[in-house]
Amino acid sequence: MDQASRVYRWDLDKTYLRTDFDSLRGLLRAALEKASAKVNVAGSAALLRELQAVEGARICVVSGSPRQMRRTLEEKLRLDGVEFDELVLKPNVENLIRGRFRAVRDQVGYKLPALLDGRMRVPSFAQETLFGDDAEADAFVYSLYADLIAGKVPVSTLAEILEHCGLYDDDQARILDLAVRVPRGAPAVGRIFIHLDAYTPPARFAPYGVRVVPIYNYFQAAVLLFSDGHFGPASVARIAAELSQGYGYSLLSLANSFQDLVRRGFAGEKAITALRLAFEAPDAMIEALKPAGGVIETFLQRISMVAGTRRPKAADAAIDYLGIVRAEGPPRKWRAGGRRRKIAGGPF
Amino acid sequence: MRWSAQGGAVTMPRMLRPTLAIDAMGGDLAPDEIVRGAARLTLETDLDVVLVGDEPRLSALLARSRHNPERLAVHHAAQSIGMGEDPRQVLALRPDASILVAARLLAQGRADALITAGNTGACVLACSSELRLLPGVRRAALAAVFPTERRRGAKEDPFSLILDVGASLDAEAEDLVSFARMGAAYARAISRNPAPRVALLSTGAEPTKGPPAVVEANRLLLDVPGIEFIGNIEGLDIPRGAADVVVTSGFVGNVVLKLLEGLSETVLEVARYAYKERLMWRAGLTMLSGGIRHLKRITDWEQYGGAPILGFDRVVIKAHGRSREQAIVNAGKVAAKTVAAGVIDAIASRSAPEAPRLAEG
Repeated sequence: MDQASRVYRWDLDKTYLRTDFDSLRGLLRAALEKASAKVNVAGSAALLRELQAVEGARICVVSGSPRQMRRTLEEKLRLDGVEFDELVLKPNVENLIRGRFRAVRDQVGYKLPALLDGRMRVPSFAQETLFGDDAEADAFVYSLYADLIAGKVPVSTLAEILEHCGLYDDDQARILDLAVRVPRGAPAVGRIFIHLDAYTPPARFAPYGVRVVPIYNYFQAAVLLFSDGHFGPASVARIAAELSQGYGYSLLSLANSFQDLVRRGFAGEKAITALRLAFEAPDAMIEALKPAGGVIETFLQRISMVAGTRRPKAADAAIDYLGIVRAEGPPRKWRAGGRRRKIAGGPF
Repeated sequence: MRWSAQGGAVTMPRMLRPTLAIDAMGGDLAPDEIVRGAARLTLETDLDVVLVGDEPRLSALLARSRHNPERLAVHHAAQSIGMGEDPRQVLALRPDASILVAARLLAQGRADALITAGNTGACVLACSSELRLLPGVRRAALAAVFPTERRRGAKEDPFSLILDVGASLDAEAEDLVSFARMGAAYARAISRNPAPRVALLSTGAEPTKGPPAVVEANRLLLDVPGIEFIGNIEGLDIPRGAADVVVTSGFVGNVVLKLLEGLSETVLEVARYAYKERLMWRAGLTMLSGGIRHLKRITDWEQYGGAPILGFDRVVIKAHGRSREQAIVNAGKVAAKTVAAGVIDAIASRSAPEAPRLAEG
């Protein structure tokens, strides 16, 4: 068993890579393009590089991309300087050949067992941070996984939830088997970062509680990971520098991103202090971010614009998974940014 | 330095990507519709937005809206001024009113333009206290556009400009001359009309018709260089497009504008009534629906977003009090265009040199 003490589990599409799988053309392009042509979500590679340098870190990638893309994806991660410990891909071609069409889009039946299986390969004390996106059901699957390994969801309840998810029987049986065998203990998942690729309103994730942190960019994740003690201020500075130099982020957009965290209650006094330290760090990278020497001032100005720090507005109670699937239907049908309703009325 | 949207696509340089200070608490439907409009601006344009108002309330609304926070900040303002309140009475008592705070941000250079759908009087007073009037301008003017039969300028613009439509009630002859200069400069910059035809709104075409201020302004404007002054026009000439810039006092201008708005809405109401009333009429109107929709589009004030308040040394856009999301989006676009076109500089350069001569005349 790996002696990892910190596990970082990442999704790839729309979390690490900018992928368009909302259209057939986008799907084909994603499948056929070379590793060097694949484009990262801004700052994702920089953040992963910082995380892999964390002592006792284990980087696990669980992606919905087909297994046939393994070589390309491995090559892409290598090009980005990312070393991973685990890369799990989806048996999509197998699903198609076996006529398991529901499984092609399903996330619960694929990701949940992959996560549970992965958990059994790390020590029970290992703390986890998960990264997903708003395209499908990452917040749901990750939260369910976190609550399962924390012993908060009984297997009987899980069976009922899976029933509503419309899984194939063998997937359901596999998940239940893993859920029985997986070690349960103190809460191991600290934060679940959801990259808002489709700009889904963050309030949509309130039912998942404060553990789920919707983020618009990886600077926001870096600030919170720093204030949680995952890495030092230089890491935040390097991620900010990559966003600024590689993706054209301005100081203002980073400051606005930070203010957004403050306004949503995710960044309090602790994070503000942490950020101040980050920008005072004697790091050459941060120098590049100081065109006018006003980095800290810009951030403090943005913070002074709000009415004060606060706690995030999210449910403190246990997550009602059954209520969610009953209300929204099977997670495989969830899509960010659904069609706009046609407005009824006369011809003018 | 280059600035860009998320994902690294390099877009406009700073000078072409203005920051808009939006008074989120002003307007009949504030803050909900204002926030929705601002949220859309962050997704659909390259603009940066500072929403000014009750921050906890605005933050809660933003959390329920699709928006890009990298382009948006909220500036807390604990107070606001209602649409029905007398700004002269309440403005001094509410130093933290959202319109005042927004005007302050503009004055400090932390925003390039201000947008408000709130109380017009409060907006003008707040701007008067925080901003400076351009040299040669004694009074700011609210300038509105209205669609006409004629096309004008390089862009085939169907709109004529009417000012003042309510920044203040009265206007002396010198004010009307100043409005004419500002309107002409605005039309040159925005409609790319090199020689906009400027007219005074009166009760007849003869130069002696109208109240004393209009008669006097007519006399003064004949001697003002750089303005294509065509004399007086009557109300019926406005929709005909007889002038590109129609100059009048705020009281008259506001009455005219609301009348034109009301007429447009009434025509559509009549069409809706007819549509429900008889099958034959419904069939006829269905056949005409494309044309009616076009008419609605060009006469719909929401499409124009907002009217600039000209005369201050910064861009100020007054959106309609009933503005919804779309109107705020369009007001944002108007503001960005006004900043990018350098309208303030254009007005300043046209207003300043002749001002002393006017005072002497």
